[in-house]
Amino acid sequence: MFLAWNEIIKNKLRFTLIIGVLMLVAYLVFFLSGLASGLASLNREAVDKWDADAIVLTEESDQSLTQSSFGSDAVDTIDADETAVLGQLNAIAQTGDEKANVSIFGINSDEFIMPEITEGKEFTGANQVVAGDALKDDGFKLGDTISLSSTEEKLEIVGFTDEARFNAAPVLYTDLDTFEQVKFGEAAGSESQISGVAVRTDDISGVTNEEDLAVIETETFIESLPGYTAQSLTLNFMIYFLFAISSVIVAIFLYVLTVQKISMFGVMKAQGIPSGYLARSVIAQTAILAAVGVVVGLGLTLLTGAFLPSAVPVGFDIPTMLIYGLVLIVVAILGAVFSVLTIVKIDPLKAIGG
Amino acid sequence: MAVLELNRVKKSFGTGHKKVDALKETNFHAERGELIAVIGPSGSGKSTFLTIAGGLLSPTDGDILINDTNIATLNEKQLSKIRLKEIGFILQASNLVPFLTVEKQLKLLDKVKKDNLNKGQLEQLYKDLGIGDLRAKYPSDLSGGERQRVAIAKALYSNPSIILADEPTASLDSDRAYEVMELLKEETKNKKTTTIVVTHDIRLIDYCDKVYKMVDGVLELQQP
Ligand SMILES: Nc1ncnc2c1ncn2[C@@H]1O[C@H](COP(=O)(O)OP(=O)(O)O)[C@@H](O)[C@H]1O
Ligand SMILES: [Mg+2]
Repeated sequence: MFLAWNEIIKNKLRFTLIIGVLMLVAYLVFFLSGLASGLASLNREAVDKWDADAIVLTEESDQSLTQSSFGSDAVDTIDADETAVLGQLNAIAQTGDEKANVSIFGINSDEFIMPEITEGKEFTGANQVVAGDALKDDGFKLGDTISLSSTEEKLEIVGFTDEARFNAAPVLYTDLDTFEQVKFGEAAGSESQISGVAVRTDDISGVTNEEDLAVIETETFIESLPGYTAQSLTLNFMIYFLFAISSVIVAIFLYVLTVQKISMFGVMKAQGIPSGYLARSVIAQTAILAAVGVVVGLGLTLLTGAFLPSAVPVGFDIPTMLIYGLVLIVVAILGAVFSVLTIVKIDPLKAIGG
Repeated sequence: MAVLELNRVKKSFGTGHKKVDALKETNFHAERGELIAVIGPSGSGKSTFLTIAGGLLSPTDGDILINDTNIATLNEKQLSKIRLKEIGFILQASNLVPFLTVEKQLKLLDKVKKDNLNKGQLEQLYKDLGIGDLRAKYPSDLSGGERQRVAIAKALYSNPSIILADEPTASLDSDRAYEVMELLKEETKNKKTTTIVVTHDIRLIDYCDKVYKMVDGVLELQQP
């Protein structure tokens, strides 16, 4: 630590440059992780809000809510602590000149999918909806009348709720009757048709015995949302790649520095300073550089995040970022191993020029 | 009792027709408080002798005893400990760490070994070598003579029993060279160390108690 720190102090410019590179890598990693979690919540935040353990869909829907449809009587066959029925439909909503993709959720207002109202009031009558507030960014307002692409029915926004997007579209919450009118029109039967039932239970395997129903754990359900897995895999792959790159960058930088100091290390070894002490010093130095780079990168990321327009889907998840920061420091130290090996192999005799 | 003893030590480099007998069979011993010069032409084996004596180079054959410990049988870690505690090296060019101030050059040694000089001894060392005013300076801000004095301070700092200096005056002008020899002599007498100075400058031998001459790998005591 003594050697490591004093060298940094004496060669500020050199080490500032290395810290700068590490900081940029950290910045990129944090930003990508913010983008990954932002894009993820774009897809999943409405589902996360249910706080459900699983969802029951038809077996033949292949884990897709949109493809699943069954009679609401099936709820009676479901064994769980709490259930909430859900009818779901994708649509294009229009008010005036404003258009937006939306996901319509037909629910019972006394079940747990019912969201907290942040503005306006709950839906109480036919064709009233509570909208996810992301719709405001698309120009929709309280009291607007919405026309839909697939039906003549008109809906009215009576309230807003936050964090309500499903598969990248803002959610319109409404009651089951309105949902059925929108989805089936005149063809709506006497028994409600729903898309799925969200359940809270400790025993997922015991939820249903019906052969044509499948119980899907919430995480699995989210992963099979269209595009979700591909997107998060891509971003995570980039992040992992950056870890490898930063390790290589650190390895190269430190190696160059170490090679420059071979004769100095040789002299120190001749004077009886053990290789282990010198190696620990290089490791400590790497840890200092990486830690400073990561902390500054983190600060810069949060600062950037504060100034980004809300349309950019970044969501900074602090625990994830802390883990990534630690990983960066660890891979940087791995990069120092090369230099450590070099130091161990230095022959003190060469340094003396015997 | 000899502080340093070489018994039938030989060193050759390479094999076959490229084989060089850098040091032919050598017996040598040095006592406490002795300042010894080793002179001889370039390539005669002086550095080979010194580095073997300092445990930096292992001999092809023979035993090296430092305070009765045979260092020929030690591993690298044990050797490094011996070098740290028992031997002070002074080298031709600056052997200072470029990014440490004079004060921290010495402090580095504290960090590595557990026991350190007390404050009084440290101040005395600064005073003896006349480097007290330099303690906050970096090696790049020192003159050649000052650097060599700091190097000597560094070699003396661990209170070693043996000081090995390989052409310590090579980069200095005559006046500075005499100064450095004067210092080495004082420290040798005051601290009762065993000091071996390799040089090809015969004007410096007046400071020494014994003079050896190295010719083609053979070490011979010169009669005064
Ligand atoms: N590492 C080595 N490999 C091969 N030959 C060496 C090596 N070190 C020294 N020699 C040879 O050993 C002889 C003595 O060298 P050295 O002890 O450095 O002489 P001096 O210090 O008196 O100038 C020279 O011929 C030199 O070329
Ligand atoms: Mg030499």
